[in-house]
Amino acid sequence: MQDSLAVGLGEYKISRNITDVLVAYGLGSCVGIGMYDPQLRLAGLLHAVLPSSPNGIADKSAKYVTSGIEILLGEMIKAGAIPSRLIVRMAGGANMLTAPGFSNTFNIGTRNVEAAHEMLQRLRLKLVSEEVGGTIGRTVRFYVLDGRMTIRTVGNQEREI
Amino acid sequence: MDESCARKFQNILANMANIGIHNAAKGMSAMVGENLSVTEPTVTAVPFHKIPTLLGGPEIEAVGIYLRVEGSIPGQIMMVIPYPKALELADLIMGEPPGTTTQLGAMERSALAELGNLTGSFFLNAIADQAGLPARPSPPAVIVDMVGAIMDIIIATTGFLCEEVLMVQAKFLRDGRETQADFWLIPDQHTIETIANQIEEDNAG
Repeated sequence: MQDSLAVGLGEYKISRNITDVLVAYGLGSCVGIGMYDPQLRLAGLLHAVLPSSPNGIADKSAKYVTSGIEILLGEMIKAGAIPSRLIVRMAGGANMLTAPGFSNTFNIGTRNVEAAHEMLQRLRLKLVSEEVGGTIGRTVRFYVLDGRMTIRTVGNQEREI
Repeated sequence: MDESCARKFQNILANMANIGIHNAAKGMSAMVGENLSVTEPTVTAVPFHKIPTLLGGPEIEAVGIYLRVEGSIPGQIMMVIPYPKALELADLIMGEPPGTTTQLGAMERSALAELGNLTGSFFLNAIADQAGLPARPSPPAVIVDMVGAIMDIIIATTGFLCEEVLMVQAKFLRDGRETQADFWLIPDQHTIETIANQIEEDNAG
């Protein structure tokens, strides 16, 4: 029996229980970033909302892509993960407002993805698969059993990325 | 801050909402060409994270009609309607018998956009008039997707700083058919102060 663990906005969860599936429901511009240590079967999923904390606000939290990745990595290491072993998968970062006049102002999805790429590179983490951008919402599932990530969009079946 | 931004706004807005929603009903009846009545609206401050649950879960398919408010009291208005309700609304707007619309094509989407535009503008005008501050809505954007993804628009644009939004809930009635509409109001940070100051000035004057 599989247990779904919901990862809410600005949260992260880690698990070593192989029946657990970490789920971030209905990601729009938010990104879901999963880290997996195959040797330990340890999985962590971050549901980040914004690229980085606004100027002048020193808020290191999982709300932000940059600090969120650092926090999740820290927790994974605390639980025994070895960074060089980690595989990373990412989904989300859509631009939900495509009407004229909105798209340039609110391209937060794109900025979230860029921030994630930069941070992962800086930390030398291996991004092995991603499905990002576009204009559709996605539900992201990250399986503790084997580190698989799947997405589901409205009207479509779950599929692996 | 001892009081959340939405809660402050809620106190200020409670009286305005009633006039606003009646104005919005006028907007809707102008569109459908018949008289619509509206029940007393309720105004509640709702934590962001509860919104998906209220609508049936973050993965539920819904229609969002989004307006950006510009002028002296900038902010955002979002109507979020669960998909089956949106089909009912489309029937109601286009004067079709219930159950006629089974999916949202270009025509139905533009009808819903117009509905959001009208109700949003009428609502906004009522608030702007009462506060004596100019405000105008952007053209509406219609988004059909998961509730969570629609809410991301608001969460991202407010920088996740305002943790509550205001929900104005009203029932529109027409010929024994009723449709509930929820408006989510998300004022920009300074807007609440602007309105509060203006009202204080008016009271002092």
